[in-house]
Amino acid sequence: MPTQDEIFKVVQETLEDALGVDDDEVTMDATLQGDLGAESIDFLDILFRLEKGFDIKIPRGELFPENLASADSSFVQDGKVTESGIAQLREKMPHADVDKLAENPAVENIADLFTVRMMVSFLDQKLNG
Amino acid sequence: MRLEGQVALVTGGSRGIGKGIVEAFVKEGAKVAFVYNSSKDAADAIVSELSASGEVIAIQADVKSKEAAQKAVDEVLEKWERIDILVNNAGVIRDGLLATMDEDDWCTVIDTNLNSVYNFTQSVMRPMMSQRSGRIINMSSVASEMGNQGQTNYAASKGGINGFTKCLAAEVGRRNITVNAIAPGFIETDMTEAVRNAAEGEIKKAIALRRLGKPEDIASTAVFLASPDASYITGQVIEVDGGLTLGGI
Repeated sequence: MPTQDEIFKVVQETLEDALGVDDDEVTMDATLQGDLGAESIDFLDILFRLEKGFDIKIPRGELFPENLASADSSFVQDGKVTESGIAQLREKMPHADVDKLAENPAVENIADLFTVRMMVSFLDQKLNG
Repeated sequence: MRLEGQVALVTGGSRGIGKGIVEAFVKEGAKVAFVYNSSKDAADAIVSELSASGEVIAIQADVKSKEAAQKAVDEVLEKWERIDILVNNAGVIRDGLLATMDEDDWCTVIDTNLNSVYNFTQSVMRPMMSQRSGRIINMSSVASEMGNQGQTNYAASKGGINGFTKCLAAEVGRRNITVNAIAPGFIETDMTEAVRNAAEGEIKKAIALRRLGKPEDIASTAVFLASPDASYITGQVIEVDGGLTLGGI
């Protein structure tokens, strides 16, 4: 079973290849969109590469849930994620730092949930149970 | 040769425009797999005729089936380990006035012409994305713009292809995949035979160049779009119609 460090190495290489970024940019705290410049099509590419790299199947939406903000009208009010929205995010993205979002739940901060750490933690759980 | 070493998959490749594209691609050095549905004899004849000039295989598949499309793509990947060019060419007509059009005629045209584009394109997304390159060429038609009586189903399928082409081009451009469509006018194929027999003279008068097109006219455009010369063209619907849609009098 791969260690967290080994998983991180593979994630780092995957992101370097998929996003054309340097290895020193891919830190655990880097956000995929804000720091590494990922766009929607990149998430699919990253998913394909991870599946290949780890020889696993990742069901759609499990690692990168889609349409989070538009899922439900009770999710966002006045540009902020509601308490119910935060609860939904905790359920859908158990590996993301939802606590940090809860401190400043502006809707544009949702993108920052997608970090390298979140990916590593997801894969650790997936591979090591 | 402009497509040396490229791997191409062409749907509806045993007849008409598709056959012309298969021939042109082989001539330009591509390895070509083409999909046919029922014309096995025609498909076998093409393979034996072109095998001397290059690598070509025929795959029987119903393009209306997602599963069959994936299987065809997997077969190409198994054999040549990549897919550089996809030509979504398969198409049928079932002309008739909408007021009396059978549901079967509507669905057959939409499934064969439009849903097949979804089936095959989605199946090549993964290999093309990991290759970081790809060319997708969809066969549209000037019928999508012209308002021909009796072609609601066909025009809807081709109009759908035009929208699909533009949206997908925006989605995958970042991965160096281009997506374009060719909209042929009246081309001398089995598909247009009935209309040509009924009104060839009238049709020619409406075409600025005063002649019908040949499959080679479309094939040369497909070669261009698949070649390095067209690497900066994406999301376009290119009318190859001898000036049929100019609309002047």
